[in-house]
Amino acid sequence: MSERPALQLRDRAVKALKDDQMRQAVRNAVDRLSGNKEKAARELPHWEQWREQTRLIRQHTIDNLDYYLKMLTDNVRKAGGQVHFALTAEAARGIITGLCQQYEAKLVVKSKSMVTEEIHLNPALEKAGMEVVESDLAEYILQLAGETPSHIIVPAIHKNRYQIADLFSQVAGEKVESDTPALTRFARQTLREKFMEADIGITGCNFAVAETGSVTLVTNEGNARLSTALPRVVISVMGMERLVPAFEDLETVLSMLPRSATGQKLTSYISVINGPRQAADIDGCEKFHLVIVDNGRSRILADEEYRQSLNCIRCGACFNVCPVYRQIGGHAYGSVYGGPIGSVITPLLENDFAFWGELPYASTLCAACTSTCPAKIPLQELLLKLRAHRVSAGYTNTFEKIAFGLWKRFFKLPGTYKFAMKAASLGQKPLVKNGYITARIPLLANWTNSRYLPAAADETFRDRWKKRKKQVSP
Amino acid sequence: MTVIHGDLSRETQFLQTVAKALGRDKALSVAPTRQEAGPPAFWREQQFENTQPLALFKTNLEALTGKVVIVRDGSEATNQIKLWLKVLNAKSAILWDHPTLRKYIEPAQLGVKAVFWNNERSREELIEIAEQSDVGITWVDYAIGYTGTVALFNGAATGRSVSLLPPTHIAVMRQADIVPTMSTVMRELLARCGQGNLPSAIDFITGPSRTSDIEMDLSIGVHGPVRIWAVVIED
Ligand code: SF4
Repeated sequence: MSERPALQLRDRAVKALKDDQMRQAVRNAVDRLSGNKEKAARELPHWEQWREQTRLIRQHTIDNLDYYLKMLTDNVRKAGGQVHFALTAEAARGIITGLCQQYEAKLVVKSKSMVTEEIHLNPALEKAGMEVVESDLAEYILQLAGETPSHIIVPAIHKNRYQIADLFSQVAGEKVESDTPALTRFARQTLREKFMEADIGITGCNFAVAETGSVTLVTNEGNARLSTALPRVVISVMGMERLVPAFEDLETVLSMLPRSATGQKLTSYISVINGPRQAADIDGCEKFHLVIVDNGRSRILADEEYRQSLNCIRCGACFNVCPVYRQIGGHAYGSVYGGPIGSVITPLLENDFAFWGELPYASTLCAACTSTCPAKIPLQELLLKLRAHRVSAGYTNTFEKIAFGLWKRFFKLPGTYKFAMKAASLGQKPLVKNGYITARIPLLANWTNSRYLPAAADETFRDRWKKRKKQVSP
Repeated sequence: MTVIHGDLSRETQFLQTVAKALGRDKALSVAPTRQEAGPPAFWREQQFENTQPLALFKTNLEALTGKVVIVRDGSEATNQIKLWLKVLNAKSAILWDHPTLRKYIEPAQLGVKAVFWNNERSREELIEIAEQSDVGITWVDYAIGYTGTVALFNGAATGRSVSLLPPTHIAVMRQADIVPTMSTVMRELLARCGQGNLPSAIDFITGPSRTSDIEMDLSIGVHGPVRIWAVVIED
């Protein structure tokens, strides 16, 4: 289970709302990203057909996940790789740390991976005496700063160039200039040395392919290529839903991911890794391990509606159109996965409706997320269901009860609910410009003050603070 | 042995958990029927004129700061590369030891120290050389017009480091190998390799290494090559 932030959601949001620099940076970033995405969606013929195709591919995969996971496993083994299964985060950490120790690794390079954030891998490896280096530029910056990602696609958007230059200067032991080329050059040189020396490369997995046993890695920087070409051992870690059945499915998901994420037609690098290097190959890894992680996903899978959230391709588009994300940024969510999709999956992954169950309230239910999602996940419907779920689990207050009562009334008349949601999203139309919501949200004040009322904390802030302090300084 | 046993039982338990969540007693073992696979039908069925893929490739790669030069034959290709090496003030190049690349390009004519990626040298030595080289030269199995992408099949004499470590990557290809969309590559790749017989890594490269991680400011060459230039042989 993840460490909980010290503050309740409302207080985290209030804190974020006071951080003008961060909020400006977030606004700039999401405006750019969603603007680019709209352009990319217009440029690809029949965008809606692509979305539907993506949904069908993902849904079919998830509905038959047992079959395709077995197929993937067999084919990774056929290609000479080894496959490991972890039901929990703890098991995953154990497996990966064990492998690193078995190979006597001293230096581990990582390319960006949300699932390794989710299972809190880095502290475990460091505790086992290894040096761990994040190689994605943003992740490297965050590692130096001791912070966590605030966006799936651009994890360090909350940091400005001066803060980055300060961090780099500390590493360099001399002043590093704050212009982008100088900062990039510094990162290239420093990280290149790490790549050349690393014993193990750890990667995530954007899409595994069941029929070939391939792991597909997508980056713009090329760090996943370096992480898999140079070290002698590669460990790829995947959430158990990150696969497609067939090679040809890649064209659809690989087209939709970058277009939805940054508006690019394709990312600069797509690497399809098929096990370890073959006998005569010179570079590439000697040993390839795939670690497949459940960590609460089977709980999501067991509910046919929540299951749709596993169709996510982690493009971040829902963050970029979310009026709440736009105002509070990623850290206020307090969870590894933020934004609308994070608000859906976090309570379920953590199996915690008391604390993490608050996240579905970090939404105006405007449905902008649903209309932008390339996998057509009905995010705001799932957010509503989660709110109801929380109420029925007994965590509630008057305000939520009222909201839930209304929702239940609507839900009894099937057509009405759909209509209400449609009306709600149509109601947003005047606010939507270039596909994202530009108006200030008068509701936000209400959202933080009255619409949202946190559940009573089961320990006081002082208790938690004491505990945290103990954990930080052992 | 214990490790393997442990893994096997973990595997069974894991797949069992997934099957149960899907409402099944045990994991599905017959292939489920699929409604839709791959890209949408209209996309697979679209027709392109002969010259379109090259034109698209050029436009799209150039839009990503790449260069594309079309030449008639191998000796023109060699000259073009020689010219670029001069422009770059390059001293050294590392080349794939690919039979087709060798057929077209005359390494002795390039005017720089040229090393081939093959088993005459050790892994460490080759990686070191690639890291120090000014330019890496590869042979492209397929290029994709619609996105300005080159697809590289990595293997024994076609190491990944060559297109990755030097600051400039020069990709050489035949016009006939430029296809309109990824669909063709995916289809031919599977057919060509047969199942379970893929190269250990396939790279789709679309433009130079880039990042927007610093204040959303586009920056080129953070990890991989700063430049990707293409020579297309009409032949
Ligand atoms: S939920 Fe949809 S929009 Fe959000 S990250 Fe996942 S795929 Fe992208």
